[in-house]
Amino acid sequence: MAKEPVRVLVTGAAGQIGYALVPMIARGVMLGADQPVILHMLDIPPAAEALNGVKMELVDAAFPLLKGVVATTDVVEACTGVNIAVMVGGFPRKEGMERKDVMSKNVSIYKSQASALEQHAAPNCKVLVVANPANTNALILKEFAPSIPANNITCLTRLDHNRALGQISERLNVQVCDVKNVIIWGNHSSTQYPDVNHATVKTPSGEKPVRELVKDDAWLNGEFITTVQQRGAAIIKARKLSSALSAASAACDHIRDWVLGTPEGTWVSMGVYSDGSYNVPAGLIYSFPVTCKNGEWKIVQGLSIDEFSRKKLDLTGEELSEEKALAYSCLT
Amino acid sequence: MEQEHIILLQKILVLLFCVTLFWKIIKYMCGLLNMEKEPLTVLVTGAAGQIGYALVPMIARGVMLGPDQPVILHMLDIEPAAEALNGVKMELIDAAFPLLRGVVATTDVAEACKGVNIAVMVGGFPRKEGMERKDVMSKNVSIYKAQAAALEQHAAPDCKVLVVANPANTNALILKEFAPSIPDKNITCLTRLDHNRALGQISERLNVHVSEVKNVIIWGNHSSTQYPDVNHASVITTNGAEKSVKDAIANDDWLETEFITTVQQRGAAIIKARKLSSALSAASAACDHIRDWVLGTLKGTWVSMGVYSDGSYGIQPGIIYSFPVTCEKGQWSIVQGLKVDEFSRDKMDATAKELMEEKSLAYSCLN
Repeated sequence: MAKEPVRVLVTGAAGQIGYALVPMIARGVMLGADQPVILHMLDIPPAAEALNGVKMELVDAAFPLLKGVVATTDVVEACTGVNIAVMVGGFPRKEGMERKDVMSKNVSIYKSQASALEQHAAPNCKVLVVANPANTNALILKEFAPSIPANNITCLTRLDHNRALGQISERLNVQVCDVKNVIIWGNHSSTQYPDVNHATVKTPSGEKPVRELVKDDAWLNGEFITTVQQRGAAIIKARKLSSALSAASAACDHIRDWVLGTPEGTWVSMGVYSDGSYNVPAGLIYSFPVTCKNGEWKIVQGLSIDEFSRKKLDLTGEELSEEKALAYSCLT
Repeated sequence: MEQEHIILLQKILVLLFCVTLFWKIIKYMCGLLNMEKEPLTVLVTGAAGQIGYALVPMIARGVMLGPDQPVILHMLDIEPAAEALNGVKMELIDAAFPLLRGVVATTDVAEACKGVNIAVMVGGFPRKEGMERKDVMSKNVSIYKAQAAALEQHAAPDCKVLVVANPANTNALILKEFAPSIPDKNITCLTRLDHNRALGQISERLNVHVSEVKNVIIWGNHSSTQYPDVNHASVITTNGAEKSVKDAIANDDWLETEFITTVQQRGAAIIKARKLSSALSAASAACDHIRDWVLGTLKGTWVSMGVYSDGSYGIQPGIIYSFPVTCEKGQWSIVQGLKVDEFSRDKMDATAKELMEEKSLAYSCLN
């Protein structure tokens, strides 16, 4: 007996990340190979024709799991009945724009999308904010959709988490699937803290800590961190376009692990509503190590935090508090 | 003496039986231990481009060869695209794909072709404004001649080749001519995109899900002379019964005119809407083509593939022509015995004629 289809919304769907993401969703990468989906794609009127082109291609691909496609510029139609919302659409920073200007534009967008979601999405809709500034956009969305449970609103730091796994696997010359339990703390920005203090590698003689195998604390506390923090810029430099493929893939991983659960003994990084764990200010969307079960995430507790890490956790927390203040000032 | 022979024979039979049973038990136990399959090496040429960017994450996620088949990706492009290609490699690492066992990003065709089991040739010379057909053909003929030699020398035995870059059928033919030690049957071109588009159009017209429609055929050239044929296509209706598409649609005029031109010109329609050509659906179709070829088609279902003609259905041998095929054990075979009416005959011949002309044009470029 086939499962009931799940409705997945992608905003900004006519853009690069959307184009990479929708075929992944339609192939079952996000929700599993046996889960039919109905795609809702939203973008702004100037992109309506391009969006329709994407819809045409989705029809042309004859995906067995894709039970319907809605391509629209109407936010209400887009949000109706959605179970999963991936918010890729946002205002990109253009040359000459001040931080406050970008923040101001995105605050308006996320405020209005918040009320549309609240009014029209299915109950218990799970939300993933990708568009930058991801953490703060997610916070605004949460503030203006008070009937959506705070735990249902998250932002993407899985891309940074996967990048960290990739860097470790390259350094140690092992398969990336043998590396696990890195952590991305904080803001999806250049103050993020990629932490390997609890990460392990599967070896023929069992699981070993990454620090022990890398044997180079200077690299782990220096170059490794900056490489992961600045990877986005490195991709733009090489491709002349920002990372769509890996961002879309990370979005699928984030939702899949959230909905289907994390493997035993493994955690992932998600930007979630802080409850004050690890002395991080409550009331921010902050990236933590989480495990997922039965469609719920839970922060991994009890991990030891050394002095070096403490400073980094606090620094990124401060930046998020500043962003929050800036966002609120744009609202008044 | 007789008695002894019989006893010996019985002993041998018992021994054979035990060995077979033992072997089956070992295989089963290995299966339980989840012994991983050996990785397959997949080459994508033109990998820094649009189709490549859509295709490589699909391959790395197991869409092309199955969720339990590890892969090593070889990506090739030309020197001017080397930095962009490296950016794609970086992103593949950043995506931490569990099935991806290695990535080679190179501008060196020998390195790219080394040990390759599956080759998807997306790279080619695109037609630019003002270019004559002969110019495009000439450039692509050189490219495919060179790549043929590299594949022949460096690819793994029994390498399966899918040509996507246009003119797909003729590029595939050139590749075949200059890689004589690659079996003819291993060189194919992509018409699955048109096949999937035809399924999509029928499903929209009948307001059913696309997975309920099957057995359309794309005959001939992946060009505007292709013939999308629904004479043998069927659809599962709302009450679960299978019905012929022709009966379900009940509009032969539409099927013989607008339906055909819509499928033929769909590529242009996508470019008009997106201002870019169809990468998502082309990449997806390439995965479908390879997956069905390698893993087999479903019982009672066929697909369309551009393959080396053996003269079936009165089509000249010696061209790469799209036929209805079923696949089993890694081999395709043309579905035989389908009735071809007069309308279809004309269309099938017209597209064959175009392919013969392309073949002559290509050969004239070689001299």
